[in-house]
Amino acid sequence: MKQRTWIIIFSLVIIICLALWLLVPQMSASTMVAGIYQDGELVQKIDLNTVTEEYEITLSGDYGENVISVSPGGIKMKSADCPDKICVNHGELTSAGSPIVCLPNKIVIKFENDDSEADAISGEAQ
Amino acid sequence: MKPFGKLCRQFAPVLAVVLCAAAFSGCNFESKYDSEFFAMDTVMDITAYGSSSESAVKAAESEINRLDALLSAENENSEIYILNSEKSLEASADTLTVLTRASEICSLTDGAFDITTEPLIRLWGFYSNSEYRVPSDEEIDAALLSVGNEHISIDGAAVTLDGNTSVDLGGIAKGYASARAAQILKDNGIKSAIISLGGNVRAVGSKPDGSDWTVAITHPDDNSEQLGTLSVSDTAVITSGGYQRYFEENGKTYHHIIDPETGCPAESGLKSVTVVSEDDVLADGLSTALFVMGLEASSELYSENSELFGAVFMTVDNDIYITDNLKDCFSSQYEFEVIEP
Repeated sequence: MKQRTWIIIFSLVIIICLALWLLVPQMSASTMVAGIYQDGELVQKIDLNTVTEEYEITLSGDYGENVISVSPGGIKMKSADCPDKICVNHGELTSAGSPIVCLPNKIVIKFENDDSEADAISGEAQ
Repeated sequence: MKPFGKLCRQFAPVLAVVLCAAAFSGCNFESKYDSEFFAMDTVMDITAYGSSSESAVKAAESEINRLDALLSAENENSEIYILNSEKSLEASADTLTVLTRASEICSLTDGAFDITTEPLIRLWGFYSNSEYRVPSDEEIDAALLSVGNEHISIDGAAVTLDGNTSVDLGGIAKGYASARAAQILKDNGIKSAIISLGGNVRAVGSKPDGSDWTVAITHPDDNSEQLGTLSVSDTAVITSGGYQRYFEENGKTYHHIIDPETGCPAESGLKSVTVVSEDDVLADGLSTALFVMGLEASSELYSENSELFGAVFMTVDNDIYITDNLKDCFSSQYEFEVIEP
């Protein structure tokens, strides 16, 4: 009897662990939330999985306007009035990689659910 | 039917184990503080763990802002701006240290790292308030006359520049800033932190759980991808490449890393160079220098100085090379070759 109780308890623990192990990564993979920040303040959070058709968001700063294009599964800086165009050259962000940064207008676009295993990203200075 | 109390006693150790496991995996007992801010013409991020993390991060942040005000070539009140306009300066300790280190790295790399390329950076329009343009050969030749370490002289704290020479510390100031920030975090009792100054990464200690930090290197062709990862603790990981700051004219791409010898964007066959070193300033200066030097000259420099740094290279053909002192901490989905000293 005692042995059976232990077997049941351990089975339960293992089942719970397995369930968590299987469910948790899927839950985080199924959300793709991009955050748009200006001057360190959150402007908008967008779940890219809920986007069905492309639309644009326009932000203005000291160096004119930035047009952000939001599409299903991706976000990019479509155009910018800033002189260097580094943010436009950055291309589309579709997963947690190095964030899109527009220094002149102090805009940062990045993935909120940074589920990549990296703690930091070393890249060419933006 | 067993008495309830007995069942509880049997359950108790199991419950205890499960609860502990859940607590350790889900929660972190160390308090974490994260700050993102703009300085030195880039976006910075400091994340620290520990009871004093908030005050430590704020102290590091204000130190970076102080250094920015001192070392920026574009800030009219900075010591570097004064040095460039008046050609002489009684330098503060920080500025003097950075200028001296710059001169050392210039000698080490046979001039591939050179802070006197300021007139060339200006000519190509790589400062934030100007337009990109391709200068004429005559303009480049004229500007090259004032480029070179020999045009700076340092005597005690007195720094002087030759007539047309100007300096820009963009290739080294962030390295100095991350070293100072790391020191301030440590002075404030932080044993675990990760600093990113616009892609210049500095690991302070190891992760709160004692394991190494994972630092990904951006793939030059795609900012969402990585060319590999490094497992590191207590070190700087600094990358230079021509893939962020560039412009195109008549179908040709011009990036911002100027070769002090030609006065033009470096064409050494590399897309990206990452330098790993405990010395942030060296890592910052070397990442630029190795990018200018190319793979072969970089490998030679490595064989003479393998105790000072390690490096990861990606060539224009997308071949990856790493120095052999990084082979235990580098991993990549791509194939790579190891450079022996």
